[in-house]
Amino acid sequence: MDVDRLRQDAAAVLADGRARMVIGFRDRAGDRVPAFITDAEQAGELLYDEACRQNLAAYLKKAELKRFRPVAIVARPAVMRSLVLLAAEAQVADEDVLVLGVSDDQEYHGILDLAATAALLNEKYAEMPHDPDLVKRIEEISAMTPEERSGFWTEQFARCTRCYACRAACPMCYCTQCIVEKNVPQWISTAAAGHGNYAWNIIRAFHLAGRCTECGACEAACPQGIPLMLLNVVLARDVEEEFGVKVGYDAEAEPVIGSWREDDNEDFIR
Amino acid sequence: MTQAEAKSTESAEAFEPRIVAFVCNWCTYAGADLTGTSRIQYAANVRIIKLPCTGRIDPLFILKAFEGGADAVLVSGCHPGDCHYTSGNYHARRRWTLLRNLLAFTGIDPRRLFFSWVSAAEGQKFADLINDITGTVRDAGPFDPTNPARRQPWT
Repeated sequence: MDVDRLRQDAAAVLADGRARMVIGFRDRAGDRVPAFITDAEQAGELLYDEACRQNLAAYLKKAELKRFRPVAIVARPAVMRSLVLLAAEAQVADEDVLVLGVSDDQEYHGILDLAATAALLNEKYAEMPHDPDLVKRIEEISAMTPEERSGFWTEQFARCTRCYACRAACPMCYCTQCIVEKNVPQWISTAAAGHGNYAWNIIRAFHLAGRCTECGACEAACPQGIPLMLLNVVLARDVEEEFGVKVGYDAEAEPVIGSWREDDNEDFIR
Repeated sequence: MTQAEAKSTESAEAFEPRIVAFVCNWCTYAGADLTGTSRIQYAANVRIIKLPCTGRIDPLFILKAFEGGADAVLVSGCHPGDCHYTSGNYHARRRWTLLRNLLAFTGIDPRRLFFSWVSAAEGQKFADLINDITGTVRDAGPFDPTNPARRQPWT
């Protein structure tokens, strides 16, 4: 990719005040870590390659960074969708954020505002298929008996240490108080075992139903390798098939859960 | 060990399903009431929890019921168009569509989670519904105590 253009644009938006911070990636001992750049002269640190998988939109809602708005964020298509979705949920205003767009095959799209980001997504990335490996895995699990499925997930969830890295990595998990931290009454046991782990992982996924752009940041952040994306894709597929919605393309869209149509499917209701 | 768990371990030969029913105040609860005042007999396996509206039924309620030892959960409210709050049941319907598949995918047998619309005039339907799902759950057997959704004793 043309990293020089990315660096030039980052320096330009900082220099002329269009952004007060650029959030991108830099190298740290071979790892790709987030870079928070406030000075045009540091823009040379920026890097971009296939290893840059974190969803940097997650930083947009962090209280510490609010005073640096407007923020320019280096974003691949799934991250752009997160930003459009944050705008649809009235979490960011158009003037709060700029996008330094990068395609999944390392093509640089330049400086975009939210409207231009949504236009680009609809024009070039309207068809973002679900990860075929995940879809295959979902078919395999769906073909199991309920006992085998519960056995599979018992094994997966048993590893969860409740570090909540999945939550921290997700741009859509922006609640100031998460349901898992509410203890009057305690809906979800916080012990890192058994039913608490099940309830946490199910509710985390469910609270992102119709809000997940399948960026994969939660699963990548999980130190225990729990296949969280299986749950997210099951929900995202249902949202598409049942309600005909692909999220993150329209900053005016109504939330999927929170809106309804009279002709929503109800085959399963007696 | 909770009371519910103590009961479930008693004996396999006399398995009586415990079904938790989350119902709305305006339709299904009134429908269940009509079943009673009409002297219609139905299976005594259901524990009814009344809520203002199906729109109030959070997925957490359903998880909590399974966690505490329910063999099955029923969620029931007003027919579409009849909601006392205009659209609570439409909102709930979307939620259930997604939750149902997610729970099935993670190992809760779909034969343990039921949804229905029962109006305040459908006393007979409520009785038939409860008898029918009690039969289904009886066939499915007790909810596996090792299922990840179930509360586990400390080891």
